[in-house]
Amino acid sequence: MKTYINNYASRSCAGNTTELMNAIYNKQTAITIDNTFMEDTPVGLGKMQYDNFFSLLKDVVQEVLESSNLKDFSETLLIVGSSVGGMAESEKHYFKDKNYTNIDPSRHPISVITEELESKFGFCDTRAISTACTSSANAFLLAKRLMSVNAYKNILIVGADALCYTTVCGFYALSVLATQECTPFNVNREGMNVAEGIAALLLQTTATKDSIEVKGVGASSDAYHMTNPDPEANGAISCMKKALDDANVDITMIDYINAHGTGTQANDRVEALAIEKLFISAPPVSSTKAVTGHTLGAAGALEAIISCEVIKRGIVPPQTALQEAENSNINLPKEAFKKDIHIVVSNSFAFGGNNTAVVFGEVE
Amino acid sequence: MKLYVKAISTYRSDRESLDIKKELKRKYKLDTRRQDSFIHLSVFGAQRLKESAEIKKDDELFLTSGVGNIDVIARTNLAVIEKGEFIKPFDFINMLGNTTSYYVATSLGVQGKNIFDISDSFPVLNSLILIYSSLFHSKKEALFGSIDLISESEELIRRVMGIAMDMPVVSSVNYQKLSLQNSDALAELEFSAHSYSKEELLEIVNRNTERTIYKSMRCKEFPFQANDKFFATDASYFINYAISNKEDILYIDFFEGRYKILKVSNL
Repeated sequence: MKTYINNYASRSCAGNTTELMNAIYNKQTAITIDNTFMEDTPVGLGKMQYDNFFSLLKDVVQEVLESSNLKDFSETLLIVGSSVGGMAESEKHYFKDKNYTNIDPSRHPISVITEELESKFGFCDTRAISTACTSSANAFLLAKRLMSVNAYKNILIVGADALCYTTVCGFYALSVLATQECTPFNVNREGMNVAEGIAALLLQTTATKDSIEVKGVGASSDAYHMTNPDPEANGAISCMKKALDDANVDITMIDYINAHGTGTQANDRVEALAIEKLFISAPPVSSTKAVTGHTLGAAGALEAIISCEVIKRGIVPPQTALQEAENSNINLPKEAFKKDIHIVVSNSFAFGGNNTAVVFGEVE
Repeated sequence: MKLYVKAISTYRSDRESLDIKKELKRKYKLDTRRQDSFIHLSVFGAQRLKESAEIKKDDELFLTSGVGNIDVIARTNLAVIEKGEFIKPFDFINMLGNTTSYYVATSLGVQGKNIFDISDSFPVLNSLILIYSSLFHSKKEALFGSIDLISESEELIRRVMGIAMDMPVVSSVNYQKLSLQNSDALAELEFSAHSYSKEELLEIVNRNTERTIYKSMRCKEFPFQANDKFFATDASYFINYAISNKEDILYIDFFEGRYKILKVSNL
């Protein structure tokens, strides 16, 4: 049983999907320098415009429903990928009351997203994957495997994370935040930009005229170090190999790699090494996080949408903010260019050596 | 969908009085630094499983929980509010679901796929569906851990879980080694993605003549035996209970008007 992405919608600091793709192709970062979360320490953040995160979340999912061939989501499984879920909601309670008294079970971190969407759309079942920055990439892994055993015909993947004190201050405590816009793969990169994002994709077992196929998914756990990737890149290579095997495609068939490319020292060095070692044909690679920032648990889903758009448009995204590449053996395009793009690999890597790669492709 | 159980491990804080952290150091010679109680409990259950299970490097690891590591969130927020402290790096790291998976994977020496699956409705049964579909594809075996830790504030747990304030709660960790192959298996698990209405469940229950029926403490209907203390992953406990007692069971899980069932058959 094959898995097709038939409809999708997104919001990020760069706007909706159309606005996001325009920003990516025009190399316009949507990162702002901001001191909301740390008064004395402005950092680069990817902030969205909204009155209420959960209202926007429902709007994005409603867009997907309205563009789909479904009347409702009553026969659809919801899989949410999120690293902190409703952490911002919890923080509101803690910071306002300074105690636990008003914690509402329906506002609990992670499950608050499924609860909110379940109450409006009535999914047949819900679940959440929380593996930090691979959360919504792992949602694809789960969805593809569930569809392959005919457990569900319709699955909605939602990647969603809002900015909150915990993530901004937490990553700052780990000394990986950039005070300016991030510059993935540059030799002089400073670090990452925490960002927020919402991405929803409807996966179905039957294709429509505009479908993109989820051809393969691979995951690995290098368990090398809690926060650092295996310096030999074995974990990153392993998950990409598994995804390619799952998709039954040769490495020479890859037309574009949407890199994880956070802009941190450790990630970019190891990811570039993995791509250099594995892809001898040097397909073009870029990280769109230079435009969106790192949307954490939403990144896998947001970049799945970017991958779909890249295939449909046949235009390779350039590496925004690239001045001098640290690893000159990978193919980082400085400008967008047209190309027949049939197959794309999208990488997501997370703390604990949790690695996931997804292969997207045209429907054959 | 069917999975076969090759080995099990169980711990409940109301049945055994153990200092988990000390036990990890004393018995299993493990480094416990930089980890919190939730991670300690998760690693402890895994080490117990290792005593009776063959662990392979490419075994897939799946963990689930009812409330997850709520203590670290509470501790961090209170520290920020009351003491004006900054978030500590290891508190931030320990909040992430895959931090627990990392420590469990490292302690077992496994490098296969590694997923922390949270389901606010049916954590164990939904994870079993995920594990089945994953193994169906990979043909490997899986280690499945279900962890619930009672925090310092039991009230917080009850509020987060949405259960009555007088319901007794308990810390628990249960693991199974799972396979699609029945050779050398202890028991067979049978389940599906389907949710049942009360009427549908009644038909299933009435048809049952062979199995002892147990139910989740969330389930107020039906006069079947439930656990005496609440933890969200008690379906995992009942798998191990059925195997330990060589009792074939039908377990009923319940969440917001929907029922799911799990059959455990000893082999």
